[in-house]
Amino acid sequence: MKNYNKFASYLYVLPAFLLVFFLLLIPMFQNIYYSFFQWDGISQPIFNGLNNYIQLFKDSNFLTSFLNTILWVVFTLLFPVFGGLLIAVFLRGIKFSDFFKSIFYIPITISFVATGIIWNYMYSRQIGVLNTILGLFGVDKISWLTSVPLNTFSLLITWTWQQLGVNMVLFLMGLTSIPVEQTEAASIEGANRWQVFIYVTFPMLRPITTVVIAMATANSFKVFDLIYVMTRGGPYRSSETLAVTMFRESFTMSNMGYGASISVVLSIIVVAISVIYLRSMLKKDLLYY
Amino acid sequence: MGVIRKTIIYIFLILLILAWLLPIFSIVQAAIKSPAEFNSTSFFQFPTRIAIVENFKMAIKQWKLHEFFLNSLIYSITGGVITIIAASMAGFSLIRLKPKFNFPLFLIIYSGTLFPFQMYLIPLYRIFNQIGLYDTKTGMILVYSALCIPFSLFVYRGFYTTIPKEIEDAALIDGCNSFQLYLRIFLPQSIAPTAVVALFQMSWIWNDLLFGMVLTRTDNARPVMVSLASMSGVSGGIIPYIMAGVIFTSLPTIILFILLRRYFISGMVLSMAGE
Repeated sequence: MKNYNKFASYLYVLPAFLLVFFLLLIPMFQNIYYSFFQWDGISQPIFNGLNNYIQLFKDSNFLTSFLNTILWVVFTLLFPVFGGLLIAVFLRGIKFSDFFKSIFYIPITISFVATGIIWNYMYSRQIGVLNTILGLFGVDKISWLTSVPLNTFSLLITWTWQQLGVNMVLFLMGLTSIPVEQTEAASIEGANRWQVFIYVTFPMLRPITTVVIAMATANSFKVFDLIYVMTRGGPYRSSETLAVTMFRESFTMSNMGYGASISVVLSIIVVAISVIYLRSMLKKDLLYY
Repeated sequence: MGVIRKTIIYIFLILLILAWLLPIFSIVQAAIKSPAEFNSTSFFQFPTRIAIVENFKMAIKQWKLHEFFLNSLIYSITGGVITIIAASMAGFSLIRLKPKFNFPLFLIIYSGTLFPFQMYLIPLYRIFNQIGLYDTKTGMILVYSALCIPFSLFVYRGFYTTIPKEIEDAALIDGCNSFQLYLRIFLPQSIAPTAVVALFQMSWIWNDLLFGMVLTRTDNARPVMVSLASMSGVSGGIIPYIMAGVIFTSLPTIILFILLRRYFISGMVLSMAGE
């Protein structure tokens, strides 16, 4: 075995390392540093200790945003994730399942911005498609995006429309990897469909379920584009989540130090969730797929 | 029992499919109608004349979409190519040349996937303003490449562990140096990981809104999604033009997805493992 030039082996890594080091790692530490300052982005930053973080818990806008974020997480687990599992189970062994699958795929190929604009039209009070259709049944015009708390739920319906396909695909992958003998054996022993699902299928899906839940949770903490395009976080900051509040405080209201502290809180949560599923990854559960 | 159960499932699925198709149907219909016809007819009336080409033209003319389209095309292609070269070289070295500290080096670069983007925005905004990269194409390409490299490195590194050692040994007997080994043996075999990176990272760059809003200001550097987002203001705007704009700006990612759909599943598995 020939020894390659030791120095050269580092040269190959250098471009990737430099880009990540200067554009991601250093900014990340700077951001933590800024979170201890009061700073408008222009004048000299003033050291502020932990005051930004203390302020967060007194700020009703932040608390609304935090509550909305939790709502996003819970709803994401209920609809795009559990719904995705349900549809994956239904699609197994059904005719035209490839056709059904491809329909749920469509929204994956378009951006959050495009999705937001499409649904702005769907939800529009005067000319919107939903109000037009509901009007046929005599339903009064609904303010989907401007009445609180309906606006957050309207956003979540759009989110489900876009995200369900991804989770469905992942669960289908998990389901096809379960050996047929297992479920057949359970049926022969007299288990009904429901029992087979609860006692055989679901436990075998557990590794993939863990990962899907962790990924969906982390993603729902990061949502920005959809909310920004559809409601700008409004009206009166009622539909903001942490990512939107961070952007608004930093770049609309020029509270950069305060914005930095929100992003640190958001990061702590996201990293904590990621660690949970990185640990399950380390157990090599996923190697079965 | 079986028949009833099947019927219920079919009805449920068909209703859901209709709900999923409704937005798609709505934008296509709105993009086909001329603004005059869109305002005078209801949702349930089909268009009498296909005006989609005029709507495309107006969307491009009024919002200069083609300029932003070109900007994002440059970002996706250049950013994608830089990512592919930098990540495949690094992956090759970490797996096959095994420098000292290869695993810590991997972890350092890979940690770039762990944090939400909000963590980088304020410092990047400040640094870019100080060194003159704010509102430039160069700055955007650098940021997009840096953001794409960590996940891409994970993909290439994982793939290179599967290339059999014998191929490498044969190349060594032929007297290859390490760069020839990378260029002639490893890179040509990297079709699958490169497809995954192209599909996921290039379409991510295309779809980005956040960094475009924070790091650019003028038409010279604005990416397409920022201009698309500005089309739908509070005032509403002219729906047929907006929907034509949505279709126009979504074409690249839809085409990319259709071309590389074989790699979608493997990419999803990797991004679950690699996020």
